[in-house]
Amino acid sequence: MKIVGVAACTVGIAHTYIAQEKLETAAKKAGHDIKVETQGTIGRENELSAEEIKEADIVILAIDVKIGNRERFDGKRIIQVPTDVAIKSPNKLVQKAQEVVEQQVGAK
Amino acid sequence: MEGTTVIDPKIIKTDMHVADKADALNQLATLLKEAGYISDVKGYLEDVYNREEEGMTGIGNFIAIPHGKSKYVKEVGVAIGTLTEEIPWETLDGKGVKGIVLFAVGNDSDGAKEHLKLLSLFARKLGNDDVISSLLNAKSANDVINAFEI
Repeated sequence: MKIVGVAACTVGIAHTYIAQEKLETAAKKAGHDIKVETQGTIGRENELSAEEIKEADIVILAIDVKIGNRERFDGKRIIQVPTDVAIKSPNKLVQKAQEVVEQQVGAK
Repeated sequence: MEGTTVIDPKIIKTDMHVADKADALNQLATLLKEAGYISDVKGYLEDVYNREEEGMTGIGNFIAIPHGKSKYVKEVGVAIGTLTEEIPWETLDGKGVKGIVLFAVGNDSDGAKEHLKLLSLFARKLGNDDVISSLLNAKSANDVINAFEI
């Protein structure tokens, strides 16, 4: 499946990027496509395009603060957690995302 | 060095003997001061402790990433310390800490944009389990530098 995400922490210099790395590693390990945008002190990096968001099966927000342009994800399935969760249990989080997507498909 | 990495052997210390978290932070901040990254140990540490109040900096796997934006930071940098003994720390997995990466970032983020970009690339590597296990096994500054070259 296709996952897009955003990582953002309070100070924006460390947890944001660790969460990004953890999420990407976990998703790839489980065989998914993933792209994680970071919103940190240096601004937005690896920014998600409208197309990527449209194609995504699910959105994972690993955030401790309000993020910019959240409305981009309106109408999408969203899992929101603090960065801590993405850092501590990235595999579980990706697993959860998969379950949510499968339920959605099953319900159709 | 300039422009390629934030890692500086002058602010890396392996096999540190520390009594506790406060001692570890103090020793690492002193390294930062001696190498010219910060202007004041006490003032800088106050900002680090302010960040500690906001949430856990122990990211699991025996690693802590204390940090804080501080006006006492003159140059963006990371002090890296590995400890001989595990010490108690507030961590996501409830374990103690054996490796500390202390971030020093100033308040002027525009002026330091290039360095902050490098810092973000460095931070990302802390999410890589292989990097972390090499870091914890590092016996010299060189080992530490190599750990991040994955």
